[in-house]
Amino acid sequence: MTTIGHRMILASAGSGKTYALTNRFVRLLALGARPERIVALTFTRKAAGEFFDEILTKLAQAARDPAKARVLAAAVELPALGVADFLGLLRTVVQAMHRLRLGTFDGFFAHVVRNFPLELGLAGEFEVLQDYAARRERRRVLRRLFTQAGGRADAQREFIEAFKRATFGADEKQLGAQLERFLDRHQEVYLEVPDPARWGNADRIWPDGSGWATRAGGLAEAAGDLRARLDRRELTDGQRERWAAFFAALPEWLPGAPLPKPVEYLLANALDVWPALQAGAAELTVDRRKLALDAAEGGALARVIRQVIGAELERRLEITRGIHAVLRGYESGYHEAVRREGKLTFGDVQRLLLPGRAGAAVLSREAGDESRLFIDFRLDAEIDHWLLDEFQDTSFGQWSVIKNLVDEAVQDPTGARSFFYVGDVKQAIFAWREGDPRLFREIFNHYNAAQPGVITEAQLVDSWRSGPPVIALVNAVFGQAAAIRDLVPGPAAEDWNREWRDHTSAQPELGGHAALFHGADEAERFAQALRLLQEIEPLARGLSCALLVQQNDTAARLAEYLRREGGLPAVAESDLQVGTDNPVGAALLALVQAAAHPGDRQAQGHLQMTPLGALLAADGLVHPAALTRRVLGQIHAEGFERLVNGWWRRLEAKLAPDDAFSRLRARQFAAAAAQFDATGSREVAEFVEFMHRHTVRDSDTAAVVRVMTVHKAKGLGFDLVILPDLEGTKLDVRREGLAVQKAADRSVDWVLDLPNTLFAEQDPVLAAHLAAAKADAAYESLSLLYVAMTRAKRAMYLITKAPGKSKSRNFPKLLAATLGDAAAPGRVGRLTLASAFAVGDADWHTRLDRRAPAAPVAATLERVDAAAVRKSRRLLSRRPAAGHEAVVPGALIFSLQSGAATDFGTAVHARLAEVAWRGEAGEARWEESCRAGGLAGEEARACLHAPDLARVWQRPDSPRAEVWRERAFEVVLDGVWVTGVFDRVVVAADAEGRAVRATVFDFKTDRVSDEEEVAAAVARHAGQLNLYRRAVAMLAGLAPSAVGCELVLTRLGRRAVVPPAPGAK
Amino acid sequence: MALSRHFLPWDRPLLPQAVEYLAGGWRGPGPLDLADLLVVVPTRQSGRRLREALAAHAEARQAAVFPPRVMLPESLLAAGAGAAGIATRLESHLAWIAEFRELELEEFRAVFPLDPPGRNFAWAQRLAQTFGRLQATLAEAGLRLADVTAQAGPNFPEAERWTQLARLEARHAERLAARGRREAQAAKLERARAPAPLAGIRRIVVLGTPDPLPLARTLLEAHAAVLPVEIVVYAPAAEAAAFDAWGRPREEAWETRGLDWPDFERHVQVCADPAAQAERVAGLAAGYGQPEGLLGVGVADAEVLPLLDLALGHAGLETFNPEGRARRGDGLHALLAALAGLAREDDFARAESLARCPDFLDFLQARVGAEFSPAGFLAGLDELHARHLPPSLAEARRHEPGNPGLRAIAEVRERLTTGRFPANAAATLGLIFGGRRFRLTQPADAQAAEAAEAWMEILRELAAAPAGELTNDEWWELALGLYGETVHYDEKAPGAVELQGWLELLWEDAPHLVVAGLNDGRVPDAVVGDPFLPEALRVRLGLKTNGARLARDAYLLQALAQGRARSGSLDLLVGKTSAAGDPLRPSRLLLQCADAALPARVEFLFRPAAAARANPPWRRAWPLVPPRRAAPDRLAVTALRDWLACPFRFYLKRVLRLEAVDPAKNELSAMDFGTLCHAALEAMGREPALRDCVEPEPIRDFLLAALDRTAAATLGPELTLPLRVQLASARQRLGRAAEVQAQLRAEGWVIQEVERPFSLEAGGLTITGKIDRIDRHATTGAIRVLDYKTSDQPDRPQEVHLRRPRAGVVPPEFACLPGAPEAWRDLQLPLYLRALAPEFPGERTGGYFNLPKASTATGLALWDDATPELAASAWACATGVAAAIQAGRFWPPSESVNEEYDDFAPLFHQGAAASVAWGEGPP
Ligand code: SF4
Repeated sequence: MTTIGHRMILASAGSGKTYALTNRFVRLLALGARPERIVALTFTRKAAGEFFDEILTKLAQAARDPAKARVLAAAVELPALGVADFLGLLRTVVQAMHRLRLGTFDGFFAHVVRNFPLELGLAGEFEVLQDYAARRERRRVLRRLFTQAGGRADAQREFIEAFKRATFGADEKQLGAQLERFLDRHQEVYLEVPDPARWGNADRIWPDGSGWATRAGGLAEAAGDLRARLDRRELTDGQRERWAAFFAALPEWLPGAPLPKPVEYLLANALDVWPALQAGAAELTVDRRKLALDAAEGGALARVIRQVIGAELERRLEITRGIHAVLRGYESGYHEAVRREGKLTFGDVQRLLLPGRAGAAVLSREAGDESRLFIDFRLDAEIDHWLLDEFQDTSFGQWSVIKNLVDEAVQDPTGARSFFYVGDVKQAIFAWREGDPRLFREIFNHYNAAQPGVITEAQLVDSWRSGPPVIALVNAVFGQAAAIRDLVPGPAAEDWNREWRDHTSAQPELGGHAALFHGADEAERFAQALRLLQEIEPLARGLSCALLVQQNDTAARLAEYLRREGGLPAVAESDLQVGTDNPVGAALLALVQAAAHPGDRQAQGHLQMTPLGALLAADGLVHPAALTRRVLGQIHAEGFERLVNGWWRRLEAKLAPDDAFSRLRARQFAAAAAQFDATGSREVAEFVEFMHRHTVRDSDTAAVVRVMTVHKAKGLGFDLVILPDLEGTKLDVRREGLAVQKAADRSVDWVLDLPNTLFAEQDPVLAAHLAAAKADAAYESLSLLYVAMTRAKRAMYLITKAPGKSKSRNFPKLLAATLGDAAAPGRVGRLTLASAFAVGDADWHTRLDRRAPAAPVAATLERVDAAAVRKSRRLLSRRPAAGHEAVVPGALIFSLQSGAATDFGTAVHARLAEVAWRGEAGEARWEESCRAGGLAGEEARACLHAPDLARVWQRPDSPRAEVWRERAFEVVLDGVWVTGVFDRVVVAADAEGRAVRATVFDFKTDRVSDEEEVAAAVARHAGQLNLYRRAVAMLAGLAPSAVGCELVLTRLGRRAVVPPAPGAK
Repeated sequence: MALSRHFLPWDRPLLPQAVEYLAGGWRGPGPLDLADLLVVVPTRQSGRRLREALAAHAEARQAAVFPPRVMLPESLLAAGAGAAGIATRLESHLAWIAEFRELELEEFRAVFPLDPPGRNFAWAQRLAQTFGRLQATLAEAGLRLADVTAQAGPNFPEAERWTQLARLEARHAERLAARGRREAQAAKLERARAPAPLAGIRRIVVLGTPDPLPLARTLLEAHAAVLPVEIVVYAPAAEAAAFDAWGRPREEAWETRGLDWPDFERHVQVCADPAAQAERVAGLAAGYGQPEGLLGVGVADAEVLPLLDLALGHAGLETFNPEGRARRGDGLHALLAALAGLAREDDFARAESLARCPDFLDFLQARVGAEFSPAGFLAGLDELHARHLPPSLAEARRHEPGNPGLRAIAEVRERLTTGRFPANAAATLGLIFGGRRFRLTQPADAQAAEAAEAWMEILRELAAAPAGELTNDEWWELALGLYGETVHYDEKAPGAVELQGWLELLWEDAPHLVVAGLNDGRVPDAVVGDPFLPEALRVRLGLKTNGARLARDAYLLQALAQGRARSGSLDLLVGKTSAAGDPLRPSRLLLQCADAALPARVEFLFRPAAAARANPPWRRAWPLVPPRRAAPDRLAVTALRDWLACPFRFYLKRVLRLEAVDPAKNELSAMDFGTLCHAALEAMGREPALRDCVEPEPIRDFLLAALDRTAAATLGPELTLPLRVQLASARQRLGRAAEVQAQLRAEGWVIQEVERPFSLEAGGLTITGKIDRIDRHATTGAIRVLDYKTSDQPDRPQEVHLRRPRAGVVPPEFACLPGAPEAWRDLQLPLYLRALAPEFPGERTGGYFNLPKASTATGLALWDDATPELAASAWACATGVAAAIQAGRFWPPSESVNEEYDDFAPLFHQGAAASVAWGEGPP
């Protein structure tokens, strides 16, 4: 048997990662793996879907085309396979479709947790919270925290104390807003490291002491000393002023607050010569002149600096602990109110499975070990094979959850299980989402150290996406090890250069063009991008085209610019805020807001300025009171979706007939409202908030110029790519936020709110942390540019500012260093631009045909010929309201006892239904049980004896008779389908059994007491009884006039005749 | 007696054949009397359709029907439940909750290996639901938890766990027994095995029901001993071998059976997303004009349902969902949720929620009388909220003791929290609805009454539950959950398009049937993963398996197609992605075909979906048309600043007076905060005892006391957390201000006047204002005109008043500083100084008294380089602005207002000017 083996693939952009992964899947199948025993995980559900489609399509093609079968057989290294084999595999996959495990990490983890709730401390099913819901829960928890006075006063006081500590020096008067930002920034760190001992703990950060002084009063003393010494010095006027300002400002400074300018100036200059200063004498620059300090002076300055930095660090430690305390306060409330209610985020789900959590078990396929969760049985599968995609974006947490399962596969001595992972460490742009590209190599080394050669490595560098010019440009930038080393901090360059392999194009026939152009500022770069588009006319030539930028709002701006200035169909592919980005949505929101908040003059005024104003006036809803009543009533009765639709239908008439956009938005708005309705809430404020947050992902649309961030473009390819937004300060800007120092095993050593960089860089521990963080950032920046540049198939245009003498180590600088920065006129078709580099064919686009864009085919369903088929008949239905009052007072409905009233009615009916005729056998027994049957029994019994009711129970004086008791009927009257139940119908028949007349008796247990009420009851029930009359007539084969109708008023023990409806035949 | 099978061929629809089958040889005259027949059908809707068709059948012969008893398999089982001594679902649920709260988890480590993070009500209640569902699932197959280990057979990896589960079940049963109740599932099993005889029934027909529950089969089997039971299968007799004795499709016959469909590719369409599916169905329906009777619509994927509802609505067609709607979304539920919230906590936000329930407003109206205005009441609540930020209802009432609405809410809360649930809940609703009369002839009232009845039924059941087990809050949570799960069935409007679930479709007889959402996981339906009953165990236990579901659905699809093969049409829509954009797969059933056809089918179904629709470019539906009004002839100084910032927003704010309400406000706005500090500072300025004080402490004490007084008056004694933080911030700022004040007095500056009002005439416009304070130097007599500022950053007067316009913005001539690049943004201090000129002709300096967040920056920022030329320019600007305002010049708007700080952002899209239709000219 061919062994399967474990494999790592480093796949450069466009080199066929999906191809490799799907081939692996096919190979596993061909080697006999059952499809449900293969787990393949990637990062988006979309990618997983594409992956699945590709496997099926690949197998389907090979199953009917011998040539394709040969190619696939070779690709999966099983050359013996043929068409029939692939057809068999195709069938296998199709049949196992519902059991396949192709998905995302999040989905897989949620699936595991769903199957082991009790084992993980949950109580059963849970709900995964997505954006809006998560935000709403947060608001609720905060609201609780804010208002729970009394009982939780202590907790509140603690929280305020903590918050003051956490935000020291930034006394803000808007707590609510600040707290939201605060949680956005820090919550994830807390969840990863809840242990307080790791937050702002000097002993963990500096196990051997930090060396910075922190004596109370030490700073004033040191400053006084320094001042005294300097007073004795010769200084220029400028220098004297500098020092005076320094000494004046220093006492004003509080640790944790920004440094006053004069203090910052001198400290920065002093820290430039810090090593010398520490040694004693030093020469420092003050007011553009050198100032030589002797050992005593230098020593005094050094003491000041040590005190300043010491105090600052002290404060930062304190702030860090404060942050922890705030988060803990919030989290305990959140945990209580949200997670325990079974509402989890995907992050929570993953954390539940993290080994190392208290009591957490490791996932395993080995049964019987109590400390492990045995997954085979519960998951209905024995997972043998692991395929992990985009591995560079896998976080350490994700890996930790599945690590044991992968271990078991790799260590399986039979070799029947396998592990395969693929990715590109050069595309690691998701570090901010905890993506950990170092894992790639570490895992490889780890397994191979234990068992050399157990995992094999392959590198894919042939691009199936890009033509030679694009590849040439990519190689020209990223293959220049020296230039990269020059521009980015040490380890990042080393890591990059080590993994770099020059790419080749596997699509030489694609041809194309790639160039670097210069544009001085954003306006000019946007304008150049537009001119390129106008020259190339990608849409007319059937080319896909994207402009990639760094930020979402730049995308919006650029798309807007292209539409406005160029009339191009440009779409910014950020998430669209369909509820608020257009006048229709805004007006509908104003409508509900104005109704719920009649004092909101803005919403009222807004409405009046829209066509809704006229509609409201037409409905007499000008006054806020009327509006409130109508709209809140509609919301409560029918929900937001129906409300929105009702109004929209009328509003639509006011729209231009060809305004497809606003119609689309109205549909999207209504769909969102339906989604909101499903939450069960009818609160306007929540709805408005929901609509503000609701976004819709633009569907992949053909025939538009797409503008999006590089992050969004990952995984996509376009014929033409333009990068007009590559500016920025530095490549190695550390991501903002708390410093989280991790050990090699990813455990967290310490967390600290870092001080001013000026100070942090002087401390060896913090400086090392900073350097590492910067190196990571620089590496990610390289990845970002790499991803951006490898999206292009045929043509790639970079537009940057010429860096000139700028010292910024940014993208323009990197491009200048690698591609050159001397601009010369460069050409694209008839267009000429200042160009520093070009490769390929400047007229590439002119060689492609212009074709009319294919009009989208409006798919429709064919109608059947109505004349040729038998229509199914549908009737209107009616159910005569039986046994109910026409008007019920609310007090009766909402009385806990009133159920007894209906029960009473039901009981009386039931008793009376037991009587066929008066004087039958068993009547004594019946009376007996009535007597024991409480009030209802008594009333029934009384009815049997009531003189006026004798006729009801009497067998009619006819040759034959029949009584229908509690009898259901169905009848069609005037085309309306009537369904009902007769209480009692007496049918008199002749000797042949033909009915001659009938009487309908309808029992009413209403509380009727006098003649007037009797008359009212008759009037009330006349409609129902006359329907009954016609039904009986039909059932018994009588004329309606031969059917009598009588109410039997049980309480009074009398009958009331219901006359035929006027005009009835 | 025994079971007999009958076959109705599937070349015609099932429904008419079913009618003929039941009517037998009946030709009339006389009623079609089927009263001695029990018919089992698969769904509520199919029962309804059957009865309708029977009535129509009889009508054709001028007759009517005594209908058969029509039941669903599950209602067969339910019949007789609720009998004395048998625990209701609620009783069983409560017993589980009690069980879990008391359980020693230590003794059940195979079930609970890990202690949950907290064993509260929520945990117990959710666990009780889990266990209730588990019991019900097993009971479908006639099993109890205790039976599982034995049934599962050897090598059962979770034997220990199930042994413990059985012990839990026994304890639960004991707990019920202690209350004189029998466990319902056990009773149900017994009933199924030995059912009570069916009075008046002579024959049972199981009609077109391809997968009756196992337990229902047990029951029918028992009846079969005495009555004829006919199983009627919708399939030709030639297919007999493909069905078992119960008419269930045999798995082995259907699991790979292909759907032979000559024009597959014409009748199966892959659509991009649910919206695309909905539009396609709506387009078809609209094409028929009146589709009823011609077109049947099936929805296999519930996600398509709301969109289909929408799309058909847009096409002018009513829809009807026979499955009904959960009451979780109805008006009463919203009211109950508000009440539950109010019962739980005395929180003002809860009171506001209740106030916005129409039923509650009606109640108030009735109670207070004609003078009560709901809109006024709600607006008043918003104002109360904005001004006082009360944490609780009690606090809110302190501010407005006479407010009848608040009094009523308090009364409601009083009722809610007095006495025991559910009596208090019923009493509260009695209070709110007591005066209402429900007119059952009116649909809205009838619906409301029906909802109320559903709720009261739950309360009555809860009233019967053992007392004292749960707290009020827990009862509410439980009751509200139960109510939310009840289902409301709408009346079908004439001509409405029925949107039917997959399982209903067998009974649909419209010649053209279109089914949307035919995706895997929906059809065939599959259970993937279960914490107790994984598929492998289901197989061992004889529960319904995914295999059985596949067989059923393969049969259904076949029958739907066959019934329309000769006349009519079946179209299937397959979604490519869900509404959220996640990929979907086509139903596996569509891939069941001959090997030779498979590759082509796969390529057809998995090809990339055609682009959904070309997204139309952004377009403005309409411009806003603001009403034209004249500006008032008195304006505050600050209004001039607004005009300079943006004349159009000035118009909206100062002329139309558009002001928004922020219901989410939970702390003081910057302005509130300033007002609070101002009040204390003003009081200080008026206090003669502090006039000459040069010590900070007494000043600070005074300021803080004044602050506390004002805060207590506006905000009350109980503060929410953000307010406490804000007050702390105010205290810190005022404390530092005391030092500055002491210092100023020491330097000789004496407070002369505070809150000094003034007015200036500029053209025909009166400009008014109040000067925070005027200081005079004790020796020089110099005058300082000061304005308190509480911005976070200290303000410098020069920067606040004058700024270089942004690139591309051309301010009006009069606003420009002659000979300098700056233009006026604010005129406050120059106008103050001008207003005081007659009274204080000598040296006057304007400035700010800053109380910023950094205490070290507290102090004066004076505009000491102000020149007479500057003053003249400022006045020119003021008169210019005044003239412009009077001339009605409010255009064009500024395009450079940061959206985040733009109060009017909701009105503008893609440019402020572009959003508004504003003709120039006088109003
Ligand atoms: S200056 Fe001293 S004595 Fe005078 S009021 Fe102030 S605290 Fe009192």
